Amino acid sequence: MKVTGPESKSNTENNRPLPLVSAVDVSLTYGSGAQAVVAVHRATCEVMAGQRIALVGASGSGKSTLLHLFAGLERPTLGTVTWPALGGRPLGWPRSVGVVFQGPSLIPALDVVENVALPLVLNGEADDVARERAQQALEQLGITALGAALPDELSGGQAQRVAVARVLASRPRLVLADEPTGQLDRITADTVVEVLLKAVADLGAALVVATHDGRVADRLDDVWHMSDGRLHLRAPAPQKPLAAGERS
Amino acid sequence: MTGLWLAGLVRNRSGRLVMTAAGIALAVALLATLGSFLATSQATMTARVVRSVPVAWQVEVQPPGDPATVLAAVQAAADITVAVPVGVSRTTGFAATTGVADQRTTQQTGPGVILGMPDGYGEDFPGEIRLLAGAATGVLIAQQTAANLHVVPGDNVEVQLPGGHSGNISIDGVVDLPQANSLFQKVGAGPGAQPVAPPDNVILLPRAQFDNLTAPALALDPSAVVTQIHAGRAAPASPDPAVAFTQVTAAARNLEVTLAGAALVGDNLGASLDAARSDSRYAQILFLFLAGPGVVLATVLTVVVAGAGSDRRRREQALLRTRGLRPAQVIGLAAVEAGAVGIAGAALGLAAAAVIGRVAFGSASLGASPLSAVAWAAAAALTGLAVAALAVLLPTVRDLRSTSVMAARSTGRGARLPLWARLGVDIVVLAISALVFWSVARTKYTLVLAPEGVPTISVNYWAFLGPILLWLGSAMLLWRVCELLLRRGVGPIRSLIRPIAGPLSATSVASMSRRRITLARSVVLLALAVSFAVSTATFTATYRQQAEADALLTNGADVTVTQAAPTATDGTGSLTAIPGVRAVEPLQHRFAYVGADLQDLYGVRPSTIVDATALADAYFSGGTARELMAQLAANPDSVLVSQETITDFQLSPGDLINLRLQDATTQEYIEVPFHVVGVGKEFPTAPSDSFLIANADYIASATGNPAIGTYLIDTGGRNQAAVADQVRSVLGQDVTVTDITQARSHVGSSLTSVDLGGLSRLELGFAVVIAAAAGGLVLALDLAERRRTFALTRVLGATSRQLRGLVSSETAVVTVFGLVGGAVAGWALSRMLVAVLNGVFDPPPSTIAVPWAYLGITTAVIAAAVALASVVGGRNLNRPAVEELREL
Repeated sequence: MKVTGPESKSNTENNRPLPLVSAVDVSLTYGSGAQAVVAVHRATCEVMAGQRIALVGASGSGKSTLLHLFAGLERPTLGTVTWPALGGRPLGWPRSVGVVFQGPSLIPALDVVENVALPLVLNGEADDVARERAQQALEQLGITALGAALPDELSGGQAQRVAVARVLASRPRLVLADEPTGQLDRITADTVVEVLLKAVADLGAALVVATHDGRVADRLDDVWHMSDGRLHLRAPAPQKPLAAGERS
Repeated sequence: MTGLWLAGLVRNRSGRLVMTAAGIALAVALLATLGSFLATSQATMTARVVRSVPVAWQVEVQPPGDPATVLAAVQAAADITVAVPVGVSRTTGFAATTGVADQRTTQQTGPGVILGMPDGYGEDFPGEIRLLAGAATGVLIAQQTAANLHVVPGDNVEVQLPGGHSGNISIDGVVDLPQANSLFQKVGAGPGAQPVAPPDNVILLPRAQFDNLTAPALALDPSAVVTQIHAGRAAPASPDPAVAFTQVTAAARNLEVTLAGAALVGDNLGASLDAARSDSRYAQILFLFLAGPGVVLATVLTVVVAGAGSDRRRREQALLRTRGLRPAQVIGLAAVEAGAVGIAGAALGLAAAAVIGRVAFGSASLGASPLSAVAWAAAAALTGLAVAALAVLLPTVRDLRSTSVMAARSTGRGARLPLWARLGVDIVVLAISALVFWSVARTKYTLVLAPEGVPTISVNYWAFLGPILLWLGSAMLLWRVCELLLRRGVGPIRSLIRPIAGPLSATSVASMSRRRITLARSVVLLALAVSFAVSTATFTATYRQQAEADALLTNGADVTVTQAAPTATDGTGSLTAIPGVRAVEPLQHRFAYVGADLQDLYGVRPSTIVDATALADAYFSGGTARELMAQLAANPDSVLVSQETITDFQLSPGDLINLRLQDATTQEYIEVPFHVVGVGKEFPTAPSDSFLIANADYIASATGNPAIGTYLIDTGGRNQAAVADQVRSVLGQDVTVTDITQARSHVGSSLTSVDLGGLSRLELGFAVVIAAAAGGLVLALDLAERRRTFALTRVLGATSRQLRGLVSSETAVVTVFGLVGGAVAGWALSRMLVAVLNGVFDPPPSTIAVPWAYLGITTAVIAAAVALASVVGGRNLNRPAVEELREL
């Protein structure tokens, strides 16, 4: 197992764009012996800049685990995960990778602005700068009015939009969303997906969404399937006409 | 179902169960150990009473009763060890002519009393008569009477009896009557009767001589002589003063009934046991009061520990409800859990109390009698069960009725202040506390005399209300201050924690501000524990300091040598040579007249006495001990007088005062001029009322008598008894040698004779454990509850160092606020405790003793507990965030 960064800082190699994240023969097994559970089995894939991928599969198929591997939150037990275009490991590089979690992921004791600003502060930004960028992110998503609210005071959809704003504020190049609509009703889920797609488009970032909601998958460019920890890549779906402003 | 549930709890929630049971055990052990201590202290009180009352009963024969019949009846009564007849007769006065050649004068006293003592009375009732000078047998004159008549052993005194009869006697010895109050009591006085002051003039005669002397008066008036049977009793069977009192008084009544009016029983032992019974009741309340906060704190901690699993418990309850269990069944399962931890905690606590009692007090019993042992154990166990119900059952019932999981998790920003805070209950409580304190401090406690002359404490139970309200009020006020600081004082706190949290200080302080209710609770819990430790430690240290000061005052020094016949030879050198002796201070003891008032006069060596003895500044007013002794040295005619003398004679510093002292050559009282320089409130070996202190050399030159009566020996506080033995072997039997270890058991009321050492160690031990638990446990639980927050922060890019900064800054704020708040509250509480419980201190303390070493250790233990909790919590912070999130 190896988790490495690239030797070169260049985003191209032989005029071919470098992938944001590259997984080669990656496996992740929890436990050992008879108790061992293989969450991801020998997955090989790359995510390129601007790609919008839906990672679909049944519950327990390994979607979240693969996403965590892409985010650098888990280490593979076999194989390598690298981030050639991001200049190193994403841990400690929140500008490069942003994660939207399935459940409540806001810090309960911080208000919305502080939650959105937190990754920036952790990355060394001055407090006032971080707050300003957080306000901008909230403005982008049209939720400025929620700035002073506490997570407990938000609805599920509002909380997910704040989570998206938190990712947006960090201006990552790769956005990973783990079942972002899993706990939302259809209307709210549609709103959150709209917000996410717009944010990614504004950033020009790549997007990988783990979901078992076909309606979400249909709105993305590529669909990767997972079953029993195995990843099945499929040819990109037919190109859909893009709405104005979806891509910068 | 119940068994399955219980087994599941034991298997899967063993940590929570063990911690809750441990908290319950702590409360139970503290309460039960208190029972053990009280058992020991009650036994001490009873033993002391029995020791301090040589004549248990004074049975006065009533006319026409026959003394011989009464004596036989008393001797036949159960538990009587000795019974002897004593004659009592009033006199119209005493007269003596003293002096030499043409300077002879005659002194006449007012009415007095003569006693006809049987042979061997002194041996039968040790402690009733204390020899001061001359022979121990024959005609003995009381010290004050001897001074009034200017007589010494060998002089003659005329005894004047009613009817104009009189007789001459030759004095053999001068004695002190320590039990004069009870010896001259009015036998048969009603319960509300005022004590009778003992007569000023008393002479003790051998019985035969007494009979001869009083025969003419008796012939005229049969009531001129009264016979009392003085009886000693075996120690009561019960160590409990209340039970012993019942036994002894019942026996006394039984004797009166048996004698059918032929005699009345003056029940000295019963009266003393009655006083001890009251003291014992007071002691129970006092010690419960001192330990009460510990029990409350242990309870609160247990509730907090049990509450740490509240989320899980709510989920489990919700699951049980969805599986079809009715609320009553869910409550039933919670009751089973509460019962299990309650019983386990109570059993553990009682076992711990028995072990602690055995080690600390030498007895595993939890009460003075089997009944009280069972009562204490039952009370402690019931308290344990109540704590369990409070910690486990009550939250279950409350949750079933109202709360949702999300509501319980709510951070509660903008939550209104609690009702008590909005109503200002804390301010009201503190105001009432101040009011109670003011009213109690105004009156203070006093030592009063029962009709039989037994010292007892006049107790004002309202006094306890002041410290209780102060403790509660300061806790509430501290909560309010913390809440306010964390709400409004964000800027200053941010600056304070910047060195710890660095760039995250704003985030940290914002988080703290939102969690201010939880943090204020932690601060208050820690502060309460700290204030409990501070006030308990300070109170017991002050108690010890004063008990030692009392013993030192009573005995005069570590070892005191009193010469029956004072000599001019300075024995300082031979005493200093004895191993273990650090310093020896000679002391003159004379009597001097201030006007018509005879007072003790102490002649001191002002250049050495301050360093050689434990003279405290509190013994004097008008200057420190050293300053006043320097004045005595610089101006040898200086004198320190009592406040009473200052008031009675309208004296001021610098005033001339002529004292009358006995001249060594003529034996006459001559006037010697002194100048008042200050007030002596206490002095080693001095009585508690009026006395004088002057320069020994000046007294010697003015009276021609340099005789030294007493030597105060300082052993550095060690080996007093051994040094006293050495002194006895060196100086022989002509001197009386006492050491402080004897004095410790004879001072004050029965309550102040209780050695609080064991209780102090016990309470201080518990206080440390509780304070450490309050600091460490609360932090550990807080960190555990916030694992999800820390995991999320880590996922968002926080480094381990940043996370540690977040945790440490919050820990620092809680610890510093808690320690400072606790120290301030503890200080205030200590001062109030010492002030309102002034009556248990003898003498009252001028300064509070602060046990810095103990407080330092407590602070260190709290810091260590907090650090340990931080380290253990910090280990979790280093775990992979996703792994942590997956588990939560």
